[in-house]
Amino acid sequence: MKLIFAGILAGLMATTAAKADEMVFTSWGGTTQEAQTKSWAEPFSASSSIKVLQDGPTDYGKLKAMVDAKNVTWDVVDVEMDFAIKAAKDGLLEPIDFAVVPKDDLDPRFSNENAVGSFYYSFVLAWNKGAVSGEPASWADMFDTKKFPGKRTFYKWSAPGVIEIALLADGVPADKLYPLDLDRAFKKLDTIKSDIVWWGGGAESQQLIASGEAAFGQLWNGRVFALEKDGADVGISWNQNLTAADVLVVPKGAKNKDAAMKFLAAATSPTGQAKFAEASGYAPINTKAKTEMPTDVVKGLPDAHVDGQINLDMNYWAEHRDEIAKRWYAWQAK
Amino acid sequence: MPVQAQQGIASPRTSAGLGGLAPALILIGLFFVVPVLALLLRSVTDPVAGLQNYAALLGDGTYARVFFNTFLVAFVVTIVTVLVAFPVAWMLAIMPPALASLLFSIIILSMWTNLLTRTYAWMVLLQRTGVINRALMSVGIIDQPLPLINNLTGVTIGMVYIMLPFMILPLVGTLRAIDPMTLRAAALCGASPFAAFLRILLPLSLPGIAAGGLMVFVMSLGYFVTPALLGGTSNMMLAEMIAQMIQSLLNWGLGSAAAFILLVVTMALYALQLRLVGNSRATGAA
Repeated sequence: MKLIFAGILAGLMATTAAKADEMVFTSWGGTTQEAQTKSWAEPFSASSSIKVLQDGPTDYGKLKAMVDAKNVTWDVVDVEMDFAIKAAKDGLLEPIDFAVVPKDDLDPRFSNENAVGSFYYSFVLAWNKGAVSGEPASWADMFDTKKFPGKRTFYKWSAPGVIEIALLADGVPADKLYPLDLDRAFKKLDTIKSDIVWWGGGAESQQLIASGEAAFGQLWNGRVFALEKDGADVGISWNQNLTAADVLVVPKGAKNKDAAMKFLAAATSPTGQAKFAEASGYAPINTKAKTEMPTDVVKGLPDAHVDGQINLDMNYWAEHRDEIAKRWYAWQAK
Repeated sequence: MPVQAQQGIASPRTSAGLGGLAPALILIGLFFVVPVLALLLRSVTDPVAGLQNYAALLGDGTYARVFFNTFLVAFVVTIVTVLVAFPVAWMLAIMPPALASLLFSIIILSMWTNLLTRTYAWMVLLQRTGVINRALMSVGIIDQPLPLINNLTGVTIGMVYIMLPFMILPLVGTLRAIDPMTLRAAALCGASPFAAFLRILLPLSLPGIAAGGLMVFVMSLGYFVTPALLGGTSNMMLAEMIAQMIQSLLNWGLGSAAAFILLVVTMALYALQLRLVGNSRATGAA
């Protein structure tokens, strides 16, 4: 019965199943996927004559349904790194063929046996200059409602980031963050709970900050980059910026595995990574990419702010994802 | 739906034409019965066989709160929708037909606009820096923005707006069927307008209110987009929680169990309503 249900589901979703010289790339939509199409898919199709069909948005439930039903219509999927680690453990992913995908120049922080980096980003502190007097300089300032009154916005879902921010603000040194002290983090978050507006997606975070609905918040650096490009009056602090990554994975049983591996090689190449970084403001995961980028673009990347930069521990999160999520949503619902 | 199907089978005329029903039965079986059974099966087998998913849902304070929120929101939305819809429906019922059909099409038109668009429009109107708060502050009625969004108020406003047509339509049908002479007779017998409303119009329109109310209540129970965008995290409703479990936590067993509990409760309410208001009137007016 399980199989029948999953089969029906997958059958309904099989609208983009690709033929032999085609493959399907799935990502999160919006400006990110546009940049991925332009920087990776189009040049790749031109040089290999493999057509890349775009699908999206990424949906972990769909991915699992496809693998369970053995009817996988996605060949390469952009996912969050902590999910990739967990999905690999659950047997949902193909191993990466490093005979096809050159490994040497890939940032080891963001690649493993079942995933290669897509791009990496930082959570930064951003604010609307019209709505904040003074300049918040650290995560601790986001918890100081006297010095900086107004609404603050944080990422709504249970994911690496907010817990760490609360602990850093409470004085935990960066090298002592893990294992996460959840009690302490929620206690700290309680102090500003009524001042928090949650954002569920990148566009929402931009809208909240640009309109001044939230005076400041924790944003993806690429989204602040886009706001600045649009001429919005926003400030940004890279102090204690927190890195996390998206990775590219191949679901178990993908129909065009060979094409997928070739695509991964192109996407993670210095040129592919340089082009994408330039278009998105996110950082390349190929250490050679920077040599191919204009210097003013390099300056705006998380790469240029390694001072005080903190790497969110994806392995820790992959292992404790469910238990943290349970506490997180219970706390939110209170 | 099952009730209507039963009526069809039970009526004497259809026993000969049962073969003609086959396509419909196969459709219902394949797309409604099988998935629900699969859902039930998954809820007691994933990740291992047993009732642990139900135990987790029913024994946990957070999930209890989400269940409570879901019913609270659906209840508040239903009440407010009835209060707003009744005068509108009454006006439509007694208005000259040409004008009434114009207003009717305006109301229907709102249903054709994308749900997400309408919800985002409410966000723009209701937020702290939104149109409503700015207007009220600039004329000096308030000096602090009213909290109209990310709370129960926001969810209620957004959902009532979306649900109104589903209440107005059955109500207009019921109200139109009421003989206006009954109200005149009440007046002649010395009833005040309020008494006439309370003792004549309201009881006679009850089937329409019940049919529309049930539809709004049941639809509200499963609502996702509007509560997610206009509500706060403390107003999380079941549909949002299920989406979390299925999409990002991949805990399908727990999600299935939650969905199944919602289904059972909804069906129980439906049965209760049939008993209270009467089978033919409720389904007939809907």
